[in-house]
Amino acid sequence: MASSIHSGPGFDFSNEIRNNFMAEKGLPLPKATSTGTTIVGCLFKDGIVLGADTRATEGPIVADKNCEKIHYITESIRCCGAGTAADTEFTTALISSNMELHALSTGRKPRVVTAMTMLKQMLFRYQGHIGAALVLGGVDATGPHLFTIHPHGSTDKLPYVTMGSGSLAAMAVFESAWRPDMDRESALTLVKSAISAGIFNDLGSGSNVDACIITASSTEMLRNVEMPNERVQKERDYKFRRGTTAWAKESVRDLVVSETVQWVGGEAMDTT
Amino acid sequence: MPSIEQPQQRQFNPYSENGGTILAIAGADFSVIAGDTRQSEGYSIQTRYAPKVFRLTDRAVLAVNGFAADGNMFVKKVRQRLEWYRHAHAKDMPLRAIARLIQTMLYARRFFPFYVYNILGGIEEDGTGAVYSFDPVGSYEREACRAAGAAQSLVQPFLDNQIYFKNQLPAPGTSHPAHLPLSTVLSLVIDSFTSATERHIEVGDGLEIYIVFSKGSTSLQGLASVRGLQEVTTTDDGERVFVIRRELKKD
Amino acid sequence: MFLTRSEYDRGVNTFSPEGRLFQVEYAIEAIKLGSTTVGIRTPEGVVLGVEKRVQSPLLESSSIEKIMEIDAHLGCAMSGLTADARTMIDHARVTAQNHAFTYDERIKVESVTQAVCDLALRFGESVHDEDAMMSRPFGVALLIAGIDELGPQLYHTDPSGTFVRYDAKAIGSGSEAAQSELQDKWHKQITLQEAQILTLRVLKQVMEEKLDQHNVQLAQVTPTKGFEILDETRLQEVIEAM
Repeated sequence: MASSIHSGPGFDFSNEIRNNFMAEKGLPLPKATSTGTTIVGCLFKDGIVLGADTRATEGPIVADKNCEKIHYITESIRCCGAGTAADTEFTTALISSNMELHALSTGRKPRVVTAMTMLKQMLFRYQGHIGAALVLGGVDATGPHLFTIHPHGSTDKLPYVTMGSGSLAAMAVFESAWRPDMDRESALTLVKSAISAGIFNDLGSGSNVDACIITASSTEMLRNVEMPNERVQKERDYKFRRGTTAWAKESVRDLVVSETVQWVGGEAMDTT
Repeated sequence: MPSIEQPQQRQFNPYSENGGTILAIAGADFSVIAGDTRQSEGYSIQTRYAPKVFRLTDRAVLAVNGFAADGNMFVKKVRQRLEWYRHAHAKDMPLRAIARLIQTMLYARRFFPFYVYNILGGIEEDGTGAVYSFDPVGSYEREACRAAGAAQSLVQPFLDNQIYFKNQLPAPGTSHPAHLPLSTVLSLVIDSFTSATERHIEVGDGLEIYIVFSKGSTSLQGLASVRGLQEVTTTDDGERVFVIRRELKKD
Repeated sequence: MFLTRSEYDRGVNTFSPEGRLFQVEYAIEAIKLGSTTVGIRTPEGVVLGVEKRVQSPLLESSSIEKIMEIDAHLGCAMSGLTADARTMIDHARVTAQNHAFTYDERIKVESVTQAVCDLALRFGESVHDEDAMMSRPFGVALLIAGIDELGPQLYHTDPSGTFVRYDAKAIGSGSEAAQSELQDKWHKQITLQEAQILTLRVLKQVMEEKLDQHNVQLAQVTPTKGFEILDETRLQEVIEAM
């Protein structure tokens, strides 16, 4: 009972044993929204380009056709998330908060490695139970940096990276066309085609392309930079005639209540 | 090295699930049978064009969905039986006979089933449009409409509402029609698939809609303005078969 | 080994130098010893009639069964070695049931006839080691009557496995005379009742005894009632109308 009254810091594991028991008895936990996902990042001459698709799934069902997977960490550090949507959203928000506090307490612009370290330490602590697979990129005083962080806390530092269910499709594009010291325009084009490869060839990825270009001087969030999957016009109009829905009984209640007030006191109260 | 040999169990799962959705709607004197053309396994697309709807005769079209290998083999076996029947009895098998044949073929594999949901559409001997739907072991039923496959749970409630008018009161002094005109049916089929494509990851790429008309059907006029239409009739018995091919979203 | 001419009729699956299968021909001859059986097709249905040879006054004539039902829409009359017909009709019944089970429709008259005839040549199917299922050809001919989507039909089958469709056909001992009478009297617009009477007239002509409701049997297949054997009262009515 204590847990329902007092809520300590961190995660609440009080239902863990009950939930495992229920799963054993054939009542598994509800499926979490997963961002099936293609996310990528690549290094170019002046910085980093991050990319993501915008499909969120629940099993084979599309839960969100235009979600945002490039999360804010700091002004010049962003993080793409794949895996359990709640985990990627919460983890990046938490690290973003801590990065802001870190910046305030140090009085300096925080570094990408700092975010990477905070993320990997948190994910390692939870032994993979936090299902976040991340692509972290940004530019700091030491230059542009690009990392991948796996749910168990391992990290990689590479010039071009992909993650999520569409990672193979996207990596195929990078492997065939990525070059060192690309200009901004061709880096963006490359990221767009890597994400598109995921969108069209991986069922877990779909809808639109989001991109984010981070350089030493600016961060440009390109939301829905490409929209190759617009919904088509329906053949019919599905408006229902008024009175289509049956009802069992009808009762109308007046929300405006009127009342008569009768003055029964003697003289008026002294309010002086 | 273990001192005592433990019993070991090994398993082989011969089945797979290849996504996609099929549906069929019966009209008064026509029948529409449709399916998307995407074939997938897990998150991968195996092909963007694998037909799931097959013309069996000029009055019967079969849609198969589930495990693609079983589906293709099943259609092959049904076609073989139809040819044997033609040779033995000097006529094309009637629709209800095909329906019963499919039941016996499916039930014959009661304990190693074809992992396939079948929907058979076409024209009955009396000239009416018909739809038969089957489960993998042969339970079957004649219906006015049926959706099956990956997006069945998305499409069937839509059809229940729009074809059977479930949860819809008719306007006072009117009643719901028993059969809808061809143009309405085609629109509902197309909208079913574009909507399923929006919300189900295994549906998309292409759409094939077969339409079977009874002898002298007046519904044929409803085809006048249809894009991407092709006639696939093979005999001059009177029944006519058409196919409409459309693109669906590819993400 | 040299075979004399007379030895060609010993093996059931040996052709004679003239290209004949004697055993099959002998089987066909056996039918001519059988009682006369008549079938007539009309636009309203098909009529079957048989003579029952009541060889002894102690014989229960009702136990002579020469017309049998194959399915609700199919009937069959026989002549010759009627015991052989059991095997064939059993097969026809199974085939008809199997068809209904598999296809949810009535089997066509031609198809069931074909199925019966497929049996007729099985006597040749013994391979040296295996036991032969049939040692000789069937010694019976059938008239199969039925109605399907092509209308009322009458088929004749013989021990060679040949089947032919007829408008009217007589088989058995009196078949020659009966057939020419049928040829004379049958016409396209013949009614079912006329066919019943014609059947009995033809049988009467070729029978040695006086025809009555005990020594003949009539059956018919009609679109409404399907196959039915006429009971003695109805038979009596036809005899009186004759």
